[in-house]
Amino acid sequence: MRPLTDEETKTMFEKLSKYIGENIKLLVDRPDGSYCFRLHNDRVYYMSEKILKLATHISRDKLVSVGTCFGKFTKTIKFRLHITALDFLAPYAKFKVWLKPGSEQSFLYGNHVLKSGLGRITENTMQYQGVVVYSLTDVPLGFGVAAKCTQECRQMDPMSIVVFHQADVGEFIRNEDTLT
Amino acid sequence: MKRLYIGGLSHSVTQKDLKDRFGKFGDVEDVEVRTRRDDDGVPYKTFSYININISDADLKKCMTVLNKSKWKGGTLQIETAKESFLNRLAEERQTAEEQRLQQPEVEDERQKMLDSLSKAGVDNFTMKAAVPGTEVPGHKDWVVSKFGRVLPVLQLKCQKGSRARTVNYDPSKYSHNIRKLDRSTVEQHTPVTQLTWEEQGGDDDISKKRRGEFPPYEPPRRKKSRKDVVKSHNAEGGAGRSPPRRSLLRVKTVVSVDHTEARRFTNGDQPPTNHRLAQRRTPRSTDWDIDSDEEIHKMVTAQDTSHAALQQQQQEEEEEDDQLEVVGLDYLVKSGWKGGPDHKDENDYDSGDTDELFASRKPPLPPPQQRSTPQAPAQLSGNDRKRKMKKKKSTAGEEEDDSSGAEEEVASRKPSGEHSSQNQSKKMKVLPVVSLPSSESDEEDEDEEELESADCSSDSDYEAMFSNVTRLEISLADLQKLAGESSGQETNLTAGSSERPAPKKGTTPEEILAAIMEDSSDDEQQQKKKKKKTKAVKVSTPLPAFQGTRALTKDAVKAAPPSTPHSESSSSEEEERENAPPAPHSESSSEEEEEQSEEEVEEEKQTPVRVPLGAKEEEERQRKTNMRRLAAVQQRQKEAEDHKKLIQGALSNLDAPKAGAGKHIVFGSDEDDDEDDDEDEQQTTSEVTTPKKTLSQDGQSEDDAAVSEKERTKGKVRVKPSVPQLFGGSEDEEDGDEEEDGSRFDVRPQFEGRVGQKLMALQSRFGTDERFRMDSRFLDEEEEEEEEEKSEKKKSVTEEEEALEEERKKNLSILQSVLGSSQQTHSSKTAVKAKAFRDVSALHYDPSREEHAAFETKTDETKKESKAARRKKREEAQKLPEVSKEIYYDVSGDLKAVFGQTKDEDVAGGGDEETNWDREEEAKEEEDGGGKEEQPTLQSSLLSADPGAENEEASGFKFSFFEDDTETGSGETAEYKVESIQAPKVSWQQDLRFQDSSSEEEEEEEQQQEEEEEQSNVTAKTTEEETPSKTDLFFFYLGDSRLTEGPRLFCRPSQLEEQREQWEERRSELRQEYRKKHKDARRKLRSSLKS
Repeated sequence: MRPLTDEETKTMFEKLSKYIGENIKLLVDRPDGSYCFRLHNDRVYYMSEKILKLATHISRDKLVSVGTCFGKFTKTIKFRLHITALDFLAPYAKFKVWLKPGSEQSFLYGNHVLKSGLGRITENTMQYQGVVVYSLTDVPLGFGVAAKCTQECRQMDPMSIVVFHQADVGEFIRNEDTLT
Repeated sequence: MKRLYIGGLSHSVTQKDLKDRFGKFGDVEDVEVRTRRDDDGVPYKTFSYININISDADLKKCMTVLNKSKWKGGTLQIETAKESFLNRLAEERQTAEEQRLQQPEVEDERQKMLDSLSKAGVDNFTMKAAVPGTEVPGHKDWVVSKFGRVLPVLQLKCQKGSRARTVNYDPSKYSHNIRKLDRSTVEQHTPVTQLTWEEQGGDDDISKKRRGEFPPYEPPRRKKSRKDVVKSHNAEGGAGRSPPRRSLLRVKTVVSVDHTEARRFTNGDQPPTNHRLAQRRTPRSTDWDIDSDEEIHKMVTAQDTSHAALQQQQQEEEEEDDQLEVVGLDYLVKSGWKGGPDHKDENDYDSGDTDELFASRKPPLPPPQQRSTPQAPAQLSGNDRKRKMKKKKSTAGEEEDDSSGAEEEVASRKPSGEHSSQNQSKKMKVLPVVSLPSSESDEEDEDEEELESADCSSDSDYEAMFSNVTRLEISLADLQKLAGESSGQETNLTAGSSERPAPKKGTTPEEILAAIMEDSSDDEQQQKKKKKKTKAVKVSTPLPAFQGTRALTKDAVKAAPPSTPHSESSSSEEEERENAPPAPHSESSSEEEEEQSEEEVEEEKQTPVRVPLGAKEEEERQRKTNMRRLAAVQQRQKEAEDHKKLIQGALSNLDAPKAGAGKHIVFGSDEDDDEDDDEDEQQTTSEVTTPKKTLSQDGQSEDDAAVSEKERTKGKVRVKPSVPQLFGGSEDEEDGDEEEDGSRFDVRPQFEGRVGQKLMALQSRFGTDERFRMDSRFLDEEEEEEEEEKSEKKKSVTEEEEALEEERKKNLSILQSVLGSSQQTHSSKTAVKAKAFRDVSALHYDPSREEHAAFETKTDETKKESKAARRKKREEAQKLPEVSKEIYYDVSGDLKAVFGQTKDEDVAGGGDEETNWDREEEAKEEEDGGGKEEQPTLQSSLLSADPGAENEEASGFKFSFFEDDTETGSGETAEYKVESIQAPKVSWQQDLRFQDSSSEEEEEEEQQQEEEEEQSNVTAKTTEEETPSKTDLFFFYLGDSRLTEGPRLFCRPSQLEEQREQWEERRSELRQEYRKKHKDARRKLRSSLKS
């Protein structure tokens, strides 16, 4: 477990900023204590200082997970967000998409969001903007990337894709073994 | 006999020839010769048919001999032909004849067959009650099949390939294929003539539409059916009876009573889920006894709103289905949506009426008492009815008699109390227990009269509280909530009040258990309707009872001769109270009680006089005695309970010190601990202590809502030492309870602050177990330990923290870079967004705020002005340097001095004539103005003297000024600069004054003036520049610096190459600048085009 290098931090922040913009600052500089990002097994974990200290007692090969896993660095050194980061993305998300009850399940099985399943969308969402997906009862379901901007979404036919799926809470069950 | 065809005959052949020729082979019977001829009658073909009796061998022979033989110029062709059709016809007829002869025989066979079958029990080829597959007796090939049908076994010839074989087809084996056809249905055909184009049908919509008749279009109606219905009801009712609208209040009470009835029904009799039913019922019930239209209108509007809300929601949902909703960036996620739409609906629906709200809110926590006693509601309702009627009467009477004109609420509340007491007293004769529910209902009624939105029914609250308590402690938020609720209540919380202290502590399991036990015992007792009453019952009953008795006694007093004093009655009561409890009363408490009771009496006195109802003193006495008896019983029970509690407390106390006392070394201050100890003990002892405290508080500070901590502690200290005092005084608990309710929610001193919070956490860790009760001693130790640890760790921690801090900083910087690079547009967008989001309409200009100065239009003007001014300045700077202004100042400054001097000179009468001329004028003017020697006033006077002239001169001055500039060079500026130091606090009036003098356009004079002024200046700042100015040259003076400097301008100051270099540099710069400007201009043009 080690702190992130500058490049890593930068790539990660760039990815995060697609979803929560400058709200990353709130993650880094928290009023309720110092929190930090740590890299372990190519995965980035977000944890409080307390937990960090506790984790120092565990050897590196035995340590499976600390704090909250935000995502992992791929072999090509790109950052990939995991669904476990949703807890921190959801409250700070700038652009949101709400699904109709009928299409929630489809999304939770890993499918893209179609126009027909789109209940509500934040205005001025740009194309390829990272969005957090909610149910209409405001339960965060996952996140993805807007395939079309808001204006285009209005005129699309109902079977076209509006949001590309990236992660959903169904992964907690589907990818139980790989999520840490 | 054969028929032969003979072709290829010559045309000349006759029948006889043929007969001869063929006669050799057989007997020719008939010859038929035919000749085909073409259109001209020329025969081209001749043939013949002959009938001949011939054997086969002869025929063969004939064929071989004659066929293809030449005869009379033609080749014969012989073939066998078909029989002549005449013959065949004849044959057929013959056979038909024969068949006709044979038929009867066949029919006979069939008949026989049928007969034989019928003999075997087959009727019309059906054999009833026969199992399929059975053979018909006597008929080998007949089998019974499905439906009892008799069928023949078929023998089918199957020709497959070369082999032919027969297959037996037994229909009984395929009987499942057989289906019964109903012939009658098949045979019904409607003839074509009867087919019509007419569609017959009723008058219903569908048939009409089928016929093509559509009703005229009507816009979809709103759902107002219910309202309409109600309105129609209302109209009927209103027409029927004129609303006796004497007082709105009463109407309200009546209606509310109705509602309570309805609600009770719903609670007691029906399952708690159907609010709808209850609600539906309420309007009907109002229909029965409507007293005013207003009430109904209210209800109708409420329903309407609820309907509207429902519709709206539906619409919204539809919209959501249909349309994509776009949401602003500032959309807030609402988390509490999980209740679901149904819940919301209900809420919406219920929000209309408070009573309905009660009804809807109650069912989840149905008071167990009511549930357990199915008879109670009925009685209650009866009670209510009675009371209602009585109330009507009484209020009517009161309104007449109430001269004091007290508040309506009070009025309404009092009668209820009165009547309840009456009711009680009446019922007590028969059934003493009934008083309980009646009193409760009283309370509820009161609450509903006040139309408080907060839950008022103490029972449900009480239940809820207990449900909370059993879990663990009440959190601070809970307490606050409860405080809010209780503050909303004005009435006493009777049932809950006595046991409320228990939830406050909530730590000792025994207490909770006891409380619960009490609760349950309540139920039991109610069920049994025995005289045994627990605290709740006691507390609930006495309040109205006492009031009632008191009121009654008063009534009695009034009815009785006025000589009987109030004090007697009250004192007698007190005596009762004192005497009744055999347990030891502390004197102080009793005194306080007395005080209180006296106060109460006083209050009673203050309350408006009531009409004496039933002046029968005997009855009242009976009631009194009854009440006393009841009170005594209650006292005894309370005593017993107190005993119990004391024992409990003692036991818990025994445990507590063992756990807490001697073993731990106490580092902290002793006082604190002692206090804590005290409080702990108080907590553990019993609930009675707390009411006691409040009682004492009552004694100390009457009606002080906000009791300071010190006072409370005092009260504690006072109460504490005499533990046995804790008994008694319970009758007045309710009075204390109100304040207790208030004080209950204050944060206890031991839980204040950070340490207090820790203590709370520690205590909550071990929950209700008394043995593990933690107090502040534990806290202190831990804190110290922690501190030590902290001090030890501090160094390492600081290092780590520093590292973390650095990391954070680094992260932030990276974030900055990331956001700066990739998210620049983003942030700017958000900024724009934020700006746009600021609602302009909601903004109010507040002149006191500095930020709002931006909204003042004035600033804009100044800006523009400043811009213009700047431009002007620039122009001026380019054309004419600061010279001009300084001329102003210099001259004016000088003028001051000049004025001073002129007088001197006037007095002296010396100097140049020209200058004097000017000055003389001035002087004259001055003298005209008033001859004041002080300059500012003088100047002002000058101004006032001839403003018109000044104005003219002002215009003239400008001209002169410019001339002056053009002519005077840099040298002059130098001059003026020197003098400008001396320039005093310049006012523009002085300038004007100067304009006066300069109006003559005689610059020489001016100059001279100036020079003289300079001379005359008393200041020591006269410089060497003054000296050369004494010559009379028009433009120049001797030793003019311009003369020396001027020629230099004509010579090259530097080398040509250098100059060129400079020029080139300059040129490149200029070019760059030009390019830049060009670019900018183009960009601007483009942007403007775009926009």
